[in-house]
Amino acid sequence: MSGKTGGARRDEPVDVLIVGAGPSGAVAARYLAAAGLSVVALEQGHWPDAADFPGRKREFELAAQKRWHPNPNVRDLPRDYPVETSASDINPLMYAAVGGSTTLYAGHWTPFLPSDFRVKTLDGIADDWPFTYEDLLPSLEEIEREVGVSGLPGNPAYPPQRAFPTPPLPIGKAGRKAVEGLDKLGWHWWPGTNAMPSVPYNGLNPCVRRGTCMTGCPEGAKSTVNITFWPHAIRSGARLITGARVREIEVNDQGLATGAVYIDENGRERRQRAAVVIVCANGIGTPRLLLLSKSKRFPDGLANRSGMVGKRLMMHPFSAVLGVFEDELDGWMGPFGQLVESFEFYETDASRGFMRGAKWGAMPGGGPLGVTSFVGSQIFSAGEGGMVEDVWGENLHKLVARRFNHCLVYGIIGEDLPEESNQVVLDPELTDSDGVPAPKLLYKVSQNSHDMLRFHVARCTEAVEAAGAIETVVVHQVRDTGWHLLGSCRMGEDAATSVVDQWGRSHDVPNLYIFDGSTFPTSGGVNPTATIMSVALRQVRRLIAQRHLQEAA
Amino acid sequence: MLLDDASRAKFAAIADRLIPASGKMPAASSASVQHAMLDLALQSRPDLTEDFTRGLAACSADAPSQSINALFREDRTGFNAVNLIAVAAYYMTDEVRDLIGYPGQESPAYDPHETPDYLVDGTLERVVRRGPLYRPTPRG
Ligand SMILES: Cc1cc2nc3c(=O)[nH]c(=O)nc-3n(C[C@H](O)[C@H](O)[C@H](O)COP(=O)(O)OP(=O)(O)OC[C@H]3O[C@@H](n4cnc5c(N)ncnc54)[C@H](O)[C@@H]3O)c2cc1C
Ligand code: SF4
Repeated sequence: MSGKTGGARRDEPVDVLIVGAGPSGAVAARYLAAAGLSVVALEQGHWPDAADFPGRKREFELAAQKRWHPNPNVRDLPRDYPVETSASDINPLMYAAVGGSTTLYAGHWTPFLPSDFRVKTLDGIADDWPFTYEDLLPSLEEIEREVGVSGLPGNPAYPPQRAFPTPPLPIGKAGRKAVEGLDKLGWHWWPGTNAMPSVPYNGLNPCVRRGTCMTGCPEGAKSTVNITFWPHAIRSGARLITGARVREIEVNDQGLATGAVYIDENGRERRQRAAVVIVCANGIGTPRLLLLSKSKRFPDGLANRSGMVGKRLMMHPFSAVLGVFEDELDGWMGPFGQLVESFEFYETDASRGFMRGAKWGAMPGGGPLGVTSFVGSQIFSAGEGGMVEDVWGENLHKLVARRFNHCLVYGIIGEDLPEESNQVVLDPELTDSDGVPAPKLLYKVSQNSHDMLRFHVARCTEAVEAAGAIETVVVHQVRDTGWHLLGSCRMGEDAATSVVDQWGRSHDVPNLYIFDGSTFPTSGGVNPTATIMSVALRQVRRLIAQRHLQEAA
Repeated sequence: MLLDDASRAKFAAIADRLIPASGKMPAASSASVQHAMLDLALQSRPDLTEDFTRGLAACSADAPSQSINALFREDRTGFNAVNLIAVAAYYMTDEVRDLIGYPGQESPAYDPHETPDYLVDGTLERVVRRGPLYRPTPRG
């Protein structure tokens, strides 16, 4: 790599090409550009405009169900690609923009725990990671400073670490209600750690608890890389091209990547050449792109000699428990975000009948329309022959009076174990708006996940009952909850069974890297972005340090 | 999409079947769902225009109960669109929001440096005293 400082002109070869401008791509771009390498990033989406987010508008809840829905198949926007899901128990969720899927994320900041990196050693199942919690910790602490995480230090669920850069957000009345129950039962809880600063920080405004995080934060307070990373990367010379859909990574006769072919906004095909290519397109976009990049040398898809590209997809099947209380809980107030988190049942206890565990995040109940369609499921269904008036009518008033402002919701994120049969493949027919084949998912929720969620639902129910709930509602295995897309290009030291090594470098193509969550050998039972960004930082640091040894086309 | 007066009146009659007056809560039409809030709801969901229009066309202002029940049985998508627009419009009106105590998504002030209750009253201390929960990285 030349190490020439940034500012490359359009289509001029560069040191590093990055595909995808979400958290992982942004970490790569920022540090590479700061190290003096020329960087181009290609992103199919655009820069988000906070003025478009519906959170300040009266019609916020209606817009959340369509234009700002996290399922790209529901949004149906030309910048997204559709995903064929007829053979999947869960719908994948994501967003195409500078900032990637975090444009809509809830900002729960929950790094993987020590046991998550040693599943095989500790529990005799799945796999260990090629590195440990301790190896990753310095990168995590650095990322937390950039992200502006708010939280309280000293959580006994984690080993001691550096304090968070901003104080915790208020847990609010709903959070206090959750604590009441957990305290009575003697169970672990901690004020929620969130990727939302409580004071102005690194270009972010403080979170003002508007509670519309999952349709974009109109306050500029939710930590997303379009605010926290890309401006730094661009100042250091990185070039970010939006509206650019990559359809293939090309290779030369020596089997080295030479760059990528993309379709620009005007539908024109372009080519960006680079010495190194890093794919950061998430657990579905990344295997899709590798499978699209077939050549004589790589007839089964790029970097796929192991046959593992697309396999072992993990999505964290999700259930939720809603507790209804007599007291008013300011149910519409944020963050939305986790008010309180609990790791009481996170670690394996084989006597429960399943392996591994889950983290709970307590959240507010949402607005009046939200309580009529709890987590996307229809609350009312009239039996055949029933009258509409009997189902809606009085019932609607009663339901809103009872639940609106009186709810607390526990979201359960449980570890999804890797299975080769859970896969991303290319659909033979479906394409995106540029005619590029769309991905198809083959995914079944495992028995372990079923059993784990049943157990956790029962414990969450006890937790809301201990807090005095007068009604509980369980939504088991919600379909629209594939927000964590992991594992489909597994990392490992053995080229026969993994796609990349611990530094994200593909075993088959020495100048092709993957820095996103698709490389995760196991999925943890927590929201993954803290770990995705930390792993990307650890990997990019290594790439920079070794750049003089890097083979390139 | 702009509706004429007759369509608005029909929508109001249908919406009243779904959202009748009850206790302190007004019926949909008394909360004026058929005017500005109907327009706002439709504007923010152009994807529902077709189903809503078809659903409403199938309804009759003279037999609102009979026609909304027929719609429910025969065209569930049309029914869902009419129902969602009615319910959303209702909960967007100032009058209804006041009555249920919903100020909309607001940005309440707080002091991030204030010591939270749970640190003062010993609740969090109990969690800390129970000690670490994590399993450390195995050595060797
Ligand atoms: C609704 C929702 C809630 C979530 N909540 C949380 C949470 O509370 N906590 C948490 O830790 N995580 C959460 N997540 C997950 C989090 O958003 C992801 O972990 C994170 O965004 C992953 O970062 P990434 O950079 O690897 O991928 P992404 O953010 O998905 O970015 C990938 C980017 O690549 C682009 N791309 C893909 N293919 C191509 C192509 N062929 N050409 C050009 N560009 C391409 C995409 O447009 C996208 O912008 C949530 C996700 C969703 C959807
Ligand atoms: S709760 Fe905070 S982060 Fe979420 S939308 Fe409101 S201000 Fe933004």
